[in-house]
Amino acid sequence: MGDLVLGIETSCDETAVAVVERATIVWSSIVSSQVEQHAVFGGVVPEIAGRAHVQELVPVLADALAEAGVSGGDIDAVAATTGPGLVGSLLVGVSAAKALALVWDVPFVAVNHLEAHLYASFLEEPDLELPLVVLLVSGGHTMLVLMEGHGRYRLLGSTLDDAAGEAFDKVARYLGLGYPGGPAIDALSGDGEPAAFDYPRSMVRENPDTLPEDRRYAFSFSGLKTAVVNHVRSDPGAATADVAASFQEAVVDALVTKTRWAIEATGARGACLGGGVAANSRLRERFLDVCTETGVRAFLPSRAMCTDNAAMVAAAGWWRLRSDGPSPLDTGADPNLGLPLLS
Amino acid sequence: MLILGIESAGSQVGCAVGGHEGVLASAHSGRGRRHAEALAPQIDFVRRQAGIRLSEIGAVAVDVGPGLFTGLRVGIATAVAMAYGLGVPMIPVPSLDLMAFPARWSGRLIVVALDARRGELFTALFRKVPGGVQRVRDAAVRTPQELSAEIEALDEPTLFIGDGALRHVDSFTGLRGVEMAEQGLANPSARYLVQLAHARAMREEFVQPWELEPVYLRLPDAQINWSTREGGA
Ligand SMILES: [Zn+2]
Repeated sequence: MGDLVLGIETSCDETAVAVVERATIVWSSIVSSQVEQHAVFGGVVPEIAGRAHVQELVPVLADALAEAGVSGGDIDAVAATTGPGLVGSLLVGVSAAKALALVWDVPFVAVNHLEAHLYASFLEEPDLELPLVVLLVSGGHTMLVLMEGHGRYRLLGSTLDDAAGEAFDKVARYLGLGYPGGPAIDALSGDGEPAAFDYPRSMVRENPDTLPEDRRYAFSFSGLKTAVVNHVRSDPGAATADVAASFQEAVVDALVTKTRWAIEATGARGACLGGGVAANSRLRERFLDVCTETGVRAFLPSRAMCTDNAAMVAAAGWWRLRSDGPSPLDTGADPNLGLPLLS
Repeated sequence: MLILGIESAGSQVGCAVGGHEGVLASAHSGRGRRHAEALAPQIDFVRRQAGIRLSEIGAVAVDVGPGLFTGLRVGIATAVAMAYGLGVPMIPVPSLDLMAFPARWSGRLIVVALDARRGELFTALFRKVPGGVQRVRDAAVRTPQELSAEIEALDEPTLFIGDGALRHVDSFTGLRGVEMAEQGLANPSARYLVQLAHARAMREEFVQPWELEPVYLRLPDAQINWSTREGGA
């Protein structure tokens, strides 16, 4: 029971609905992006996002059901992202999901957006090898987690200041590359030299054993961002492509180096990359290298599944339903929801 | 025809179900603003109290605003998803029309003022007509001072209704021939929504879930700031 899950994702600026069977077979995954509506403001405007979600909800829902070739009566459970994210956006998806669960008389399942990003990697490779080191990187989060089982996460470390995606956005804005910054830097870096400038890598070049435990798997990107800004100011002739490529390399270096340390220290059997920044080509390339070199299985979401989508929500919802059962109908949105961690 | 009514434009949230026999069951939460937590359990409760299955609902009525943005969206998202899931049409009702409806026996000019926060009101004027009320001035955002000056110029007996009128009562009590409606009518009500919507359903004034348009009246702040910066473009 509960095998065909309808997922709804509205945590930020994507309205998405998907139909997924047993957390592995994606029958449909429709995403309507508002990126163009926010681009003019250089970032997501919450009220504009909330309005757009209301407008897009029914068309996206209709498309997802039509493409899956199912009707409401075929759906076994409805899952929605309840956090973290923008509260006014989250509430649109949560409200709609609870309404559909009532109408179709099926369970409603609350899904954590961060956990959903993890499950994007397992959509195509459902046979987990545990424990898994998970690197979760997005505009709002950068963390290394040890996944011991479904819903069982231990935090290894997270960012002390900016998230990696946030650093990409800030540097891209400074370099005049526009919004969103991640894809812009990724594209331009292809024409640049990653070793052109040696930008700082905080807590990365040391021997991991000499770092205090709370810093070993921690990240920091604000010093890097400042170094790039200062460098461009003092050397205005520097080729923007070289600056972008060198900056990207410094971020990726920090991310994959610490992933390698975590794999080696925990004896993990696999490593999983998740979050919007998982679409970055250099990060994907070097993450795969680390997995090959350490002999662990790599779990990478397809590019389409890196950005926010509802297939990952439906997949995470299927697992949550199996482990915890339905969520209550008085579930609200929690903009600051964290990954449920073991202590 | 059975109608499910959902109301969340103001500081309160509620729902009701009814038809030609009137309202069969209703629920209402007046405390706090946790609309999203309250609404789905209310619908489930109302369905049980009315002794119906949701599949018996023939139309979903919803307050489309103006109102407080986040609460409004909770009601609208719930309502469109219900209607789409049930495969039934919708009846959109503006919040201020809904608030004027219970005053339809009054011979006075009806001034509806819903609290819009930031020292402003969502307001519109109505007069009674056979069977209901008719809007005589469209919904707008006004400060209490602006509204007071407008009413003073009209110089006729008025009935003020709404939580905004009560909150800014000092701005209006000095007006000649003014009366304040009671606290019980200060918020839009799902019970009246179902009554009002039933009459519209008989006239088949339906829209489809994908056609429903919320009434915000205010631009998002970012767009206001943007157009100011662009010289009002
Ligand atoms: Zn995300």
